[in-house]
Amino acid sequence: MENLLMEFLSNTGLALADYRNVIMILVGIVLIYLGIAKRYEPFLLVPIGFGILMGNIPVIKDFGIGIYEKGSFLSYMYYGVIHDIYPPLIFLGVGALTDFSAMLARPLLMLLGAAAQIGIFATFLGALALGFAPNEAASIGIIGGADGPTAIFLTAKLAPRLIGPIAIAAYSYMALVPVIQPPIMRLLTSRKERLIKMEEPRKVSKKEKLIFPIIGFLLCCFIVPGALPLLGMLFFGNLLKESIIVERLARAARSTIIDTVTILLGIAVGASTQGDVFLTGKSMGIFVLGAASFAVATASGVIFAKFMNLFLRQKINPLIGAAGVSAVPNSARVVQVVGQAEDPANFLLMHAMAPNISGVIGSAIAAAILWSFVSV
Amino acid sequence: MVGLEAISAHNGWAMSVLGISIVFAGLLLLSFAVSQIHKALEFWDNCYQRIKKLRQGKNRQNAVTPDLTLPDDIKESARQFKLLIERIGEPFLLPKLLDFSEKRGLLHPHSSINNLLQVKLIIPDGTGHFLWNHEVERNIQKRSRV
Repeated sequence: MENLLMEFLSNTGLALADYRNVIMILVGIVLIYLGIAKRYEPFLLVPIGFGILMGNIPVIKDFGIGIYEKGSFLSYMYYGVIHDIYPPLIFLGVGALTDFSAMLARPLLMLLGAAAQIGIFATFLGALALGFAPNEAASIGIIGGADGPTAIFLTAKLAPRLIGPIAIAAYSYMALVPVIQPPIMRLLTSRKERLIKMEEPRKVSKKEKLIFPIIGFLLCCFIVPGALPLLGMLFFGNLLKESIIVERLARAARSTIIDTVTILLGIAVGASTQGDVFLTGKSMGIFVLGAASFAVATASGVIFAKFMNLFLRQKINPLIGAAGVSAVPNSARVVQVVGQAEDPANFLLMHAMAPNISGVIGSAIAAAILWSFVSV
Repeated sequence: MVGLEAISAHNGWAMSVLGISIVFAGLLLLSFAVSQIHKALEFWDNCYQRIKKLRQGKNRQNAVTPDLTLPDDIKESARQFKLLIERIGEPFLLPKLLDFSEKRGLLHPHSSINNLLQVKLIIPDGTGHFLWNHEVERNIQKRSRV
């Protein structure tokens, strides 16, 4: 009986834990705190934070519990991450939630969504310079797209072992958009520029909104077929929304499906960050480069908006360039807050949605391009 | 390998420049396509309206112009219904005309409309709506004068 008790005690989490598990559990608690108390992306940070707690309870090897063990409950949840099942389903929900009117009303603003993708490629270069392999560098660069599902999609293809740190970095920076972006936006714009009021966008007809997902899908996927799983589902979700006739499917996509997948994705990604796998020099490098990527993406959007103003008769407020990073709709909200801090009567949210949504399309295209370049 | 050497060795410069160029080209193309959607829809709507008008004109021309003299009671109801139709506007729906005539207290609106349909003073436009046949009206007026 004594032996049995000793064996039991030696198999408890307390006996198996090392300092890395403790650090990760603290990280998980911080994410849960940020989600609940500070309300930074609670729908993402709470499941991820709890997933980190679940993943860092030390378990006996080959007991069929750990996320990296075949046949375990967590490994089945993780299957959807490494086999690119969750990201397209999230895109389906995003499509069914998103109103593309702002973008259709002023398509020129889509270029700001393209400009913000400079951050991805700049960070790709930075990661290569720091000694990361091209497949890892591409996965790190995509953090600058500020799009968690896209980052997971590409990393699962190119560097599956880095999914944990990259997903955590991408989602953390998405949650920290209100903290990271405003100083960069203020630094790169003058007060006069921040006060620019943009003209009311034209009214977009129902037919336009209905035709757009089909044209958008065909055009993007013929140019970059690698983006098909993400953009296909994004545009399909939007078609469901705009067609009205299949409202029931649209409602399922934007509520039940996206909510279920968010829980599965959050828990699985969180649980994949076991201390011994996550706390490495590479992960720290990923976090630093991710932050740089995000900052460069924000700056690129703002600077490109200023560049466009050199040629436009009706000036655009350069703050909306920051919404080119695709954290929908957080970065657009940040633009609104920063703009209203200068002039409470200036409403930029509607205008910022255009680069914000095109940023989603742009980052999916960038991911597909990197995938095709690096996997050749 | 680190630094610029690593970037060059992995063809990083070319990948980045080409990558961002493709992203820009893709979104530029998409923005151009998007900017043309409402113009294309406008063009389509204009064409559709033109075709519709042409078809209406044809229906008026193709309308049989029976050469008959109307009894006085039908002439009177034709005069009243013409005024009603001018008020409703063309093309019109028969139920709407019926509803209007009932509200205005015209006598026997069903049979009156039936008579006007038979003498082709009211003709279908081919889209479920109806029109007042001015040609038949003129013919009837000429006959009456003779």
